[in-house]
Amino acid sequence: MTAFFEALLANPAVILTVGAFVIFFLPRHLACAWCLLVTAFSAIKLYTLGLGEYGALHVFGEQLTTVRVDPLSRIFAVVFHIAIVLNVIYAWGQRDKAQNFAMLAYPAACLGGVLAGDLITLFFWWEMAAITSVFLVWAPGTRVTYLAGMRYLAIQILSGVLLLGGVALTYRETGSFAFDMMGLRDADGAVKISALVMFLAFGIKSAFPLLHNWVQDAYPKSTLTGAIILSIFTTKLAVYSLARAFPGTNELIYIGVVMTLFPIFFALIENDLRKVLCYSINNQVGFMVCAIGLGTINGAAGYAFGNIIFEGLLFMALGAAMHRTGTSKATELGGLYKTMPVTMALCIVGALSISAFPGTLGFVTKGLIIDGAGEAHLFWVWLGLLFASAGVLEHAGIKIPYFTFFAHDSGQRPKDAPLPMMIAMGIAAALCLGLGIYPDPLYALLPDQAAIADYHPYTAYHLIEQLQLLLWAVLAFAILILVKWYPAEVPSTNLDTDWFYRVPGRALMSWAAGASRATWIALWGIFSGRVQALMARVYSVHGPEGEMARSWPIGFMALWTAILLALVLVISFIA
Amino acid sequence: MNLIAQLPVLPIIIPIVAAPITLLLPKGRVPHLWACLFSWLTFAACIALFAEVSSTGPISYHLGDWAPPIGIEYYIDLANALVLLLVSGIAAVVFPYAYRSVQLEVDERQTPLFYGALLICMTGLLGVTITGDAFNVFVFLEISSLSGYALIAMGARRDRRALTAAFNYLVMGTIGATFFVIGLGLLYQATGTLNMADLADRLIGQDNRMVEAGFAFILVGMGLKLAMFPMHLWLPNAYTYAPSAVTAFMAATATKVAVYVIIRFIFSVFNFDFAFIGAAFTYVLLPLGLAGMFVASFVALFQEDVKRMLAYSSVAQIGYMLLGLSFATVEGLTATLVHIFNHALMKGALFMAVGCVVLRAGSHSIYAFAGLSKRMPVTTWAFLISGLSLIGVPLTVGFISKWYLLQAAFEAGHWYAGFLIVASSLIALAYVGRVAEVMLLREPAEDGKYAMPKEEAPLSMLIPMWVLVAANIYFGVRTDLTGGIAQRAAETLMSMAGGAP
Repeated sequence: MTAFFEALLANPAVILTVGAFVIFFLPRHLACAWCLLVTAFSAIKLYTLGLGEYGALHVFGEQLTTVRVDPLSRIFAVVFHIAIVLNVIYAWGQRDKAQNFAMLAYPAACLGGVLAGDLITLFFWWEMAAITSVFLVWAPGTRVTYLAGMRYLAIQILSGVLLLGGVALTYRETGSFAFDMMGLRDADGAVKISALVMFLAFGIKSAFPLLHNWVQDAYPKSTLTGAIILSIFTTKLAVYSLARAFPGTNELIYIGVVMTLFPIFFALIENDLRKVLCYSINNQVGFMVCAIGLGTINGAAGYAFGNIIFEGLLFMALGAAMHRTGTSKATELGGLYKTMPVTMALCIVGALSISAFPGTLGFVTKGLIIDGAGEAHLFWVWLGLLFASAGVLEHAGIKIPYFTFFAHDSGQRPKDAPLPMMIAMGIAAALCLGLGIYPDPLYALLPDQAAIADYHPYTAYHLIEQLQLLLWAVLAFAILILVKWYPAEVPSTNLDTDWFYRVPGRALMSWAAGASRATWIALWGIFSGRVQALMARVYSVHGPEGEMARSWPIGFMALWTAILLALVLVISFIA
Repeated sequence: MNLIAQLPVLPIIIPIVAAPITLLLPKGRVPHLWACLFSWLTFAACIALFAEVSSTGPISYHLGDWAPPIGIEYYIDLANALVLLLVSGIAAVVFPYAYRSVQLEVDERQTPLFYGALLICMTGLLGVTITGDAFNVFVFLEISSLSGYALIAMGARRDRRALTAAFNYLVMGTIGATFFVIGLGLLYQATGTLNMADLADRLIGQDNRMVEAGFAFILVGMGLKLAMFPMHLWLPNAYTYAPSAVTAFMAATATKVAVYVIIRFIFSVFNFDFAFIGAAFTYVLLPLGLAGMFVASFVALFQEDVKRMLAYSSVAQIGYMLLGLSFATVEGLTATLVHIFNHALMKGALFMAVGCVVLRAGSHSIYAFAGLSKRMPVTTWAFLISGLSLIGVPLTVGFISKWYLLQAAFEAGHWYAGFLIVASSLIALAYVGRVAEVMLLREPAEDGKYAMPKEEAPLSMLIPMWVLVAANIYFGVRTDLTGGIAQRAAETLMSMAGGAP
């Protein structure tokens, strides 16, 4: 038993989880300070552990490794800690115990998953992440969020069930629970069922195309702080898992490219800016998935690191605007720069970073991926990623700050963001710029040091390529503004008429988005109708008045016994 | 004649001597303390026996020094040592728990009768498990059943429906026992012996109609006792209207012992050379196990009465046990044995939690559970944790059961069964979730029928309940105890039956 507790105490995720439960017993005003303290403990634990495997447990007669710190899990663990600290500071003074609990327990679960050295541990934290995060979706406490939370939970649990199935199958095949590189195909090139099931489980959590709807469904319905936390962890845990188990899997390249492209169309016509950012999560994770497919794990891990910071910064800036104005609709925001200049400036830093302007965190991390595609001589993939990068600039880099702080003047004159929010955003922005100019500490954390040794972000080629892309995109935007093709009253989609996709045009995009939405609604309608009919039928048979649940007279029970006896006799005789 | 040499008989002798004396004691506290003491002594004897068997191997004990097959033999190997440990262990926590609950639910004049009957019931179940003599199984089965009928009928003080429930159970249980004894008669006709080991020897090569019919009667008779779907109809009412302590004890032990008897007969008396064993696995146990898993789970989903819901859930859980058995592999048998043990832990704890609610709210309707987390948080959490275990959440014993079962299903090549196991767990999630939602999110009733004081159950009930809850977690983490023992037991049984190891 002592070995068991030692194994638990070696785990930073357990420290955070226990800390999360303590919140229920603390006075409300101490919760945030406590969160910081616990996070500090956890970070120190992580630091003192150093690289290696810890927390060995004997279960099922198998050796489990509950904590594995290697270069790949370390970079995720580090950035998760940074993210927790940012979130806690941002949410300083938050009184809701359930949210404060989830603010610590949910990242803890994802951290546990990242540190898991075996599949059983991974499954445990995988499900913990699902269960703890749903409190954030439920936090606003309305019926809409309750239902959204249930849908979210169902999908997350489905992913967990698939994972468990994959674990069981893998165990059958290999006799081991080790969580290592598995690959989608065996030596003969045939698809392994076990790996495929697990691939799907990871795919749901990382929101592969067509498996992505839960992100837009659940995240924007959460609270201000809830949405920020949600946006960070689940998908990154999935990215980590993919990077661990399926590096260099060709299918991921194409899945990733589709992931980077399709959300752009949705994002451009979306009016709710929080939803725009949710699409942006899909798009950003797409870059990471693509990088995993290309085998540039550095790119995936590095970009995940960067993305957590700058995507978080955008969410926080938008959240601050929402906090002051109560809305995140593009049509209702605008002109806030006059009274929220600091938030505006910080938001722009995030926007520059996500668009990968030189001198920002985005530039030094995204280059790793684009370079990987170029070196792999996959022209179409490279082009797709470039195109997607320009799309990022339009929908996240320009749309978010422009419609929030500029565009038409909404007439609102709110105060600038409160101090804690300002501090959190300030730290994030400082990281964006600091690591953008001096990326060496980040590069030192990357998993594949051999590959990074002769990589230099600020070469002439990289700079020219990126600046060309960005300048053309900005130019297109500027011209649109100047010639006033850009009615501020309908600030939804004109941004997409830039030099990249002038041909398909807005109509096609609206049509595509509308059609897929309609298909989805129709399919869902059929599905839920069927389920309701089925449940009604099940109820009529199994409900309290149904045949299956009635108290039958003795004669009937005896009759059943006789029937069964006859059946067994016949079976025995003819066997 | 030292005590260690007589160890195998102690788990029977201790309670069977204590039980009649209970009847002579004055009503009130004394019979309870007396019964508690002896249930603990029995538990201690069972632990000693278990330790002995697991270190030195199977024990054969000749009653009165009459050598088998003439005399009665007690035969203890790992499989029944585990079940003995389980039955006596559950008794050891239910007896202390019973006092306050019985005070409320049973007529005070009946307390000596109640504890006496409970001791006898335990003796019967232990006897069924320990004996190596087929007819002795029948005798002990009747001992446990008759006292069981009386115990269930004692719930009549709170709800008169307990009487009809007990009567139905009496009729059905007697039919089951009669079938069983008819089966034994046929086997005796064919072989001229009743000792299990001897039966196994003499049955070799006897693949005739008499043996086949004997098997059919035994399987159906025991199937009735263990509430195999669709012969489960007596169970929901019996469990719902019995006093809480009786339900907790019987749900955790009675059906498990019947499952054990089926295992014992299939693997130690018959063997895989009989074609009907394989046929029974494929055409009876597998489909009925699966049907029970779903039908009973769906019924549980819509119940308004928590105790009844748990009773139906028991039928579903028995489906898992039969399913594991029907794979006819070491893994499957291991899964069944593990689940016998684990299910007793979770259902025991759940029914005890319901008993605590009945004590304070006076009802086991789901409406009595509204806002329970505000009124009885300790009980609520006991229910929740054991409920999670019932669903099969990791770190609880339920997960271990499901894990072994899934492994066995995949091993046996029954992919669909693996899928169905997960699917039926989701139904369990729904019906446990329903109660959880009511307990955690609803507001407690302020007045009316279900209003209750903000008062936790007494410690004498909470401590035994939490012992079981803790066991749910402990054995969910330390699987070498249950899993390892069950695996060894399964390997032994399988080699007896001549199946593939």
